[in-house]
Amino acid sequence: MEQEPILGSSGDRSADAAFHRYVVPELPALLRVARTLTHNPDDAEDLVQDTIIRAYKSITTFDGAHARAWLFTILRNTHINRNRRRRPDLFDDPNDVEAIADHRRSDPAELAEQTAFRDAVVAAIATLPEKMRTVVELVDLESCTYAEVAMALGIPIGTVMSRLHRGRKHIKDQLVAKGLVNKKVSST
Amino acid sequence: MRDNLREMRNCHEVGQWLQHYLDGELEPGVTTQVEEHLETCVRCGLEYDTYSRIKTALHEASSDSPELIGDEIALQRLRRFADGLTGHSSAGA
Repeated sequence: MEQEPILGSSGDRSADAAFHRYVVPELPALLRVARTLTHNPDDAEDLVQDTIIRAYKSITTFDGAHARAWLFTILRNTHINRNRRRRPDLFDDPNDVEAIADHRRSDPAELAEQTAFRDAVVAAIATLPEKMRTVVELVDLESCTYAEVAMALGIPIGTVMSRLHRGRKHIKDQLVAKGLVNKKVSST
Repeated sequence: MRDNLREMRNCHEVGQWLQHYLDGELEPGVTTQVEEHLETCVRCGLEYDTYSRIKTALHEASSDSPELIGDEIALQRLRRFADGLTGHSSAGA
């Protein structure tokens, strides 16, 4: 059954199609970034809602290139504006956002080893500081480029690379400690 | 001796590029250098294999680990909200 459009939609089918093609698939990445920016699940969901409303309103002017980067820009600007309204003493500088901010083989032994490795990786990433964890998740789970992560979080691309490198090394060190990785690879 | 020093220097440089290579973020020329080094250096090959396995493990885990995929319920609400903007049916979303 068709829903009643929230915005009293123009009925522009091509715009609606573009919205579903470019915006909806990015919701997981938007929510992940929003959680990092807001530090609150409810605020994060509200922020993503505001973001997709803005994206919907401007979808007809979007040229279809770099959708994720476009959405991250909207998300960040929306976040800055929301906080400026709430706390006018904060966020004079947009950069202040940073401050808050089967291939499985049939061999059971092989499968068990893969599962142990995966569980250890999941346990290790949970111990990362949030800023580091978010960068690792955006790159490894959401397949974001370094530039997209930099844009999403409002940080220099060098900071993205630094956090990613340190985050993965932290994960690797924990795998080494559990004997799941050869110690010879613990240098870098 | 000289070859060992050169190899150590190569390993040091490649070590700095390894994660960028893993993420497809290197320039083509540098990519070739890294690939040539990985063909002959066991130590760096192991290093690359470890990071590659970590990346693969995270990607696989994201499909069935709620703590990694975030709040699926919140995502479902957001998808319904997005559908509501366009009057699109969320059935099956």
